Amino acid sequence: MSLATLYPWLKALHVVSAFLFVAGILTTSMVLAAERANPGSAAPVAGLLAKSERWLTTPAMLLVWAFGLTLAVTAGWFSSTWLQVKLAFVVLLSAVHGLQSGQLRRLVRKKALKPLPTLPLILVSLLAVVVLAVVKL
Amino acid sequence: MSSHDDSTQLRWLGILSVLEATTLVLLVAVAVPLKHIAGWTIAVHVMGPVHGLAFLAYCWAAIQSIAEGGWSRLEAARLLATAFIPFAGFANVRLIARKSAALRTGVVQ
Ligand code: HEM
Repeated sequence: MSLATLYPWLKALHVVSAFLFVAGILTTSMVLAAERANPGSAAPVAGLLAKSERWLTTPAMLLVWAFGLTLAVTAGWFSSTWLQVKLAFVVLLSAVHGLQSGQLRRLVRKKALKPLPTLPLILVSLLAVVVLAVVKL
Repeated sequence: MSSHDDSTQLRWLGILSVLEATTLVLLVAVAVPLKHIAGWTIAVHVMGPVHGLAFLAYCWAAIQSIAEGGWSRLEAARLLATAFIPFAGFANVRLIARKSAALRTGVVQ
């Protein structure tokens, strides 16, 4: 079986990974916001969130990249504008994830968080990524 | 989190830093000459993307480490700058080893 015949399956796995990745960064963004608004309030979920960061969100990010790059290479999408612009937003989302992941480690170790509102950035990037991928502007 | 976790984190940063620098050396010192001297393009086609991914992975680990804190402004700038300065990744090893040692002896934070 060639990569081309697997294409729809790879795309399905790409979208599943993207769902998991976005779910993870949204949850973390909101829990960090709750902790900033009311220090101590996130303590009960900090451990669980750190665990899911490690075993779900980060692997999901790596899989989104792996499947996405495979799709792009297989179908030769790299020269398309929609993918080039989408990649900029994907890099932004990944960077936001890195920043939040560092803050989450502070939360677990009961250190004060930095003011870092990530929710608007995530929502705007998500909108851009999905519109670009689906509509291919 | 325990200091064990912290040193694992730092070890990863060090590994990715060296990997980023090493793949660049392989790209410019081996793959590119092979292409120009022997007309052998496969090495560039392989090492180009490999170096690209190593670069991204290092950037991600650096952003995460800096966001966690414990680095001075200068050290943070250095971690980020090394991603863009060829071969500087090797120089990170000492900085990271010093942080690791400081963590073990409890000097930091
Ligand atoms: C390195 C990162 C990424 C690359 C290279 C990439 C590349 C691609 C490619 C080539 C397709 C297939 C388009 C098609 O065949 O119609 C695709 C589809 C898709 N991607 Fe990505 N992607 C990446 C990251 C992401 C992220 C982070 C998200 C969401 C947050 C995402 C959401 C989607 C969605 C929803 C589709 C389905 C579009 C459709 O079926 O029409 N991608 N991506």
